[in-house]
Amino acid sequence: MPHTTDIIRALEQDSLISLEQAKVGCEFHIRFINGPACEKLRQMGFCESMRIKKITDGRNMICTVCGTKMALSRELAHQVLVEASS
Amino acid sequence: MDSDLETIALAGNPNAGKTTIFNALTGSHQKVGNYAGVTVAKKSGEFFTPHGRKIRLLDLPGCYSLQGDSPDQVIASRVLCGQDPEEPAPALVINVVDASALERHLQLTLELIELGLPVVLALNMVDVAENNGIRLDPAALSDQLGIPVVSLMATKGKGLVELKQAIRHPLPQAAETPWLQEGMTAEQKTQARIRYIQQTCELAARRPGAAQQLFSDRLDYFLLHPFFGWIAFALIMFALFWSIFSISSIPVGWLESAQGALQDFIATRMATGDLNDLITQGIIGGAGSVLVFLPQIVILFLFIGLLESTGYMSRAAFLMDGVMSRVGLSGKSFLPLLSAHACALPAIMAARTIDSAKERLVTIFVAPWMSCSARLPVYLLLVPMLLQSEEGNSMQQGLVMAAIYLVGIFTAFAVAKILRKKLGPDEQSNHFMMELPPFHPPQWCYILRHVRDRAWAFVKNAGTIILAISIILWALQTYPKSSSEDPAEKLSHSAMGRISAFIEPVFAPIGHDGKTGAAILTSFAAREVFVSSIAIMHHVEEADDEVETRGTIRSQLQATTWADGRPMFTTASLISLLLFYIYALQCLPTSAVVARETGSWKWAIGQFAFMSAFAWFAAFLAFQLLS
Repeated sequence: MPHTTDIIRALEQDSLISLEQAKVGCEFHIRFINGPACEKLRQMGFCESMRIKKITDGRNMICTVCGTKMALSRELAHQVLVEASS
Repeated sequence: MDSDLETIALAGNPNAGKTTIFNALTGSHQKVGNYAGVTVAKKSGEFFTPHGRKIRLLDLPGCYSLQGDSPDQVIASRVLCGQDPEEPAPALVINVVDASALERHLQLTLELIELGLPVVLALNMVDVAENNGIRLDPAALSDQLGIPVVSLMATKGKGLVELKQAIRHPLPQAAETPWLQEGMTAEQKTQARIRYIQQTCELAARRPGAAQQLFSDRLDYFLLHPFFGWIAFALIMFALFWSIFSISSIPVGWLESAQGALQDFIATRMATGDLNDLITQGIIGGAGSVLVFLPQIVILFLFIGLLESTGYMSRAAFLMDGVMSRVGLSGKSFLPLLSAHACALPAIMAARTIDSAKERLVTIFVAPWMSCSARLPVYLLLVPMLLQSEEGNSMQQGLVMAAIYLVGIFTAFAVAKILRKKLGPDEQSNHFMMELPPFHPPQWCYILRHVRDRAWAFVKNAGTIILAISIILWALQTYPKSSSEDPAEKLSHSAMGRISAFIEPVFAPIGHDGKTGAAILTSFAAREVFVSSIAIMHHVEEADDEVETRGTIRSQLQATTWADGRPMFTTASLISLLLFYIYALQCLPTSAVVARETGSWKWAIGQFAFMSAFAWFAAFLAFQLLS
């Protein structure tokens, strides 16, 4: 039987969008990193609650994470779940 | 290495400025650049603390985490974890961090503290952070982490004295790890580190509310644009080829005039005979004919140094990722392949930054097909012959040169695609992710030092290998002597004449006689030897003027005929020769580095045999189809 926190987490994730779907030019906060490359993404600075801005879209997208410009593929961006910055 | 010396390691994320600090502390001249992955091997040097104690400093390749899996990151983490059998565990770690991206860089800092090693934090690029509006508080950072923090601007040499003070004896104690608790899993540890870093940055590195639009961002708008970005890329590449022909013609003129004057000076002051002939034809004619290409080599390295130093390299890799993915490689392979245009050796080592082992292997395999600087003298000799024009039409020659480079690149891509398919997919999928560092003004002193080192290596090569081969060739061509006065009769009687006749059947199908064949064989020692060999073979007299000298080599070659009177250097045979030089792997040091990097001579020998056979068949096909 799934744990209550897992259910809450899953519901929360459903309400978020991935960086891949996020709008260009907007600022977001990273909420979850979810997928096979999550460890690598964290090593490169894509960590939960970090501020992120999507600069360009495309096959590889560009975003700034804490002032550093990073290029990453759509597959990796799909594993980064974000919510709009207030 | 003095084993009694205490070892201090420089560690940090890629492109944090470790090598700049290493060079400043030790007085070394290791290569630096503005992109991730310039340093792929550990380097050591020595320096003195303010109290006169000698310390061994180890510069490690950049790593984002101690769990990084690319070979360069593994080298760093093995040393830091004390698992490298060649290195003692460091007594202290200088952790170099980029002050403008502390949130990202501090992750490694916390991992280093967790190892139980004493750590000093070198807060580099504080000027960049302040320009970005970040309010740094090094004292709060030091309190929060429990380690000494030193602010630095390494490129300007500021903060180095303070850094030396911070690593004086007694060395600082290993810090506590308040973010960790007993029984945490790896995932919980990662989350705990992230929380602690955020807490630390709230106190010690506060960012402005709104992101600022910097000069680098405005430049990136064009350079990374899906349309303008490619135009800029094409313009930069064309400017490189054009400048090799056009700007270099002035210093080449000076060099050739000096060479002509030296030759005249010796020839007129010595009695005619074998010694005079050896010096003027063998030594000055041989090594000198290669040395005149020095300005072109300098321009090539200067250009590549500029691209590396400003930060454009990673932009080019970003643009090229789409193209590279079509052949099973990624933008990360582009960096070694671009630098292979200068020299394949550092390029093959730079492949260490590629995460995928199979992609790395394919990159190493095709890298020698990028035309390196040693091929440049051969191309510069043959291209004007092919165009049947005098030197000076730089635009047309630049275009042909670009085409030659493109032939190598496209063939490399085609072979990469086949090989990548044959090797199969990676066990763990790797996707493109790369840091795009802000643009910096070029670090001229490092660029010029690097260019000087490469130029010196070229001159040294001309003074050793090329000189030795020139003398041997001259001797083979002069002895045994014939009583005949006919030059053709003299040559056929000489040792070289006999060797040429023996090897001619191999080179005749690609449109060349034994003399050119012998020149090709000598260039397996170093490609640029071809120019001196061909000059000696055809007894080219050096002239006072640069254009005249190379023109003499060309007119001698153009006048060369087969026994039945057909011209030997036709369009077909020149294209065949150019193709041979584009494809053949005529560089023994490259094979040695390939064997080391792949961990097997099987790959190195296979690569050599494949490329040599490929070169011969490509030349054969071109000659047979065009003639």
